[in-house]
Amino acid sequence: MITQQALRALVDEWIGAGTKVAGPSYVKKDFCQYVPLASSAELLLEGFIHPRNSIKEFFFPRHEKIYEYALKGHEVELADMSPASTPQVIIAARPCDTAAVAILDAVFNWGDKDEFYTRRRDAATIVALACVQHDSQCFCTSVGLGPDAEKGADAMLLPMDGGFEVRCITDKGRALFAGRTQSSDKTAVIPEGPKVKMSPEQVRKALEDYENPLWKTATLRCLSCGACSFTCPTCHCFDIVDEGNAHGGCRAKNWDSCQLCMFTKHASGHNPRNVQGQRQRQRTQHKFRIYPDKFGEVLCTGCGNCARNCPVSLGVLGTLIELCAEMPESVGESK
Amino acid sequence: MIEELRQTCRKLLEDGTVNVVIAYGQSDPEGPVYPIFVTKPDDAEKIVWNKQCFANLTTYLTRKEVKALGRIAVLVKGCDARSLVVLEQESQVDRAMVHVIGLACGGVGEPNPAGKCTVCEVHMPRGTDQIIGSVPETVSDSQDRYAAVEEFMKKSPEERLAFWKKEFERCVRCYACRGACPLCYCNQCIVDKNRPVAIDTSASLKGNFAWNITRAFHLAGRCVGCGECTRVCPAGIDLRLLNESLARSAERNFNYRAGMDPETPPVIGTYNAEDKENFIR
Repeated sequence: MITQQALRALVDEWIGAGTKVAGPSYVKKDFCQYVPLASSAELLLEGFIHPRNSIKEFFFPRHEKIYEYALKGHEVELADMSPASTPQVIIAARPCDTAAVAILDAVFNWGDKDEFYTRRRDAATIVALACVQHDSQCFCTSVGLGPDAEKGADAMLLPMDGGFEVRCITDKGRALFAGRTQSSDKTAVIPEGPKVKMSPEQVRKALEDYENPLWKTATLRCLSCGACSFTCPTCHCFDIVDEGNAHGGCRAKNWDSCQLCMFTKHASGHNPRNVQGQRQRQRTQHKFRIYPDKFGEVLCTGCGNCARNCPVSLGVLGTLIELCAEMPESVGESK
Repeated sequence: MIEELRQTCRKLLEDGTVNVVIAYGQSDPEGPVYPIFVTKPDDAEKIVWNKQCFANLTTYLTRKEVKALGRIAVLVKGCDARSLVVLEQESQVDRAMVHVIGLACGGVGEPNPAGKCTVCEVHMPRGTDQIIGSVPETVSDSQDRYAAVEEFMKKSPEERLAFWKKEFERCVRCYACRGACPLCYCNQCIVDKNRPVAIDTSASLKGNFAWNITRAFHLAGRCVGCGECTRVCPAGIDLRLLNESLARSAERNFNYRAGMDPETPPVIGTYNAEDKENFIR
């Protein structure tokens, strides 16, 4: 185990040694996000359910320059941007966030390796913090995870009397805590997670019906913003843009969301997903049907951030429950 | 009051006055309240009205998917009714085609009232087709509408810039502010123009300043202070503060307040030869 005091001292040691450390923190009153920490005093280790963002941005930033260009007379000078490889520790990440990184690894290494992602990833150690609380939006147990799921984590902290039980999962995790823990005859007791609220298999079957009327009715309230995608730990779509002027600029990789109207707009002006219901359907299809077909697992860790951050509380979970409520009879009928 | 509201909506649907009622619903009494589109009379039972009814439902009146449903009834609080006035003045809503049900409102937010409600002076909606409920006697209209801006303006320009840098750094460019805002109805938002690019889409500090400031300027003299931008921001940015500062300027310089009176011409759309600036003559 490690006491909270010893853990905070260790975090300060990492920061002092030049490691970038990020973890949950109150950036303003009642508003918690994963952010880079200037000291361990900012680190939040209890009293929160889920930060409003996810940890994906420490590997896949919302805006990243790929290269810069400069026009010198008739010459064009290109400058490669070297992907950052500063050591970083992500501390106190929720298991639904660490699991998402394991999922993202598959995407960013599929075919060509995304150097920007993998270099950051290789230089990072992820320490999860097991959950002792959950809210009505949490549904990790419905997608095969749980309050102490180890997927994607190098080590895990499990809250217990006087501190945390430290569970080292990988060599990286062991290296981080080597010689810094003390033995204890007690172990942490982690309460059960949220009850199972839906079944991905059933969802998959329901999604076979492309013309389900739900996409026209239940999604009417959607405001076409990207709050769900951008706070989702697994959403990973990006756009490549050029920014600059006649003298110079850069090519950048920016987060993008399938919920925004520009996502599929063609240069011709045609937009194959012209109404919001189609975009909602696409996001759900991608997470529970298209992605599993390619990578063998669902693109959702049940964190509930989509619903928590949605201006109109339209999360994946609610949509799926509604979709499955009509199963199995309605699948044939709606056609 | 809730029974009267449900009965009213049921009747509007039954007698064919409207095809859809845009209202508030809640599936779990402990959970969030969200907008619902009631098309069947029996579903009027699903309508709720409580302290969690934050959303400004007039934002749906300009959406093509919603317009396609036919004649619309919409629930408005006092603040929401002001945005309806602006939408009508800007020819975005044919007022005669919308049945407006005003809800007397003592403020939303529990246990703490929403920021906008602490300085509210429109507890009773105006310009509606009917009003349901009454404002609690303990609630009175505020006279201190720019309190937050006044407090903020005590900071030096450098401190204010530092504040906005810190706030805008968190912006992820999800455009939830735009989506929730009833007055962000442009067919093509300037940030979606990419031939050529007008505003960087990058969530860099430069791009974020460009986006948030442009949006605030486009709402100058139009924003009614419903506070939806602040409520929906997943990065916790108090965008309303920016808009309120421009609203304060519109009132100080032109004695104009958006959405208060349908008969007062919009400040941005008015020509006045008596204007104190010379360029206008």
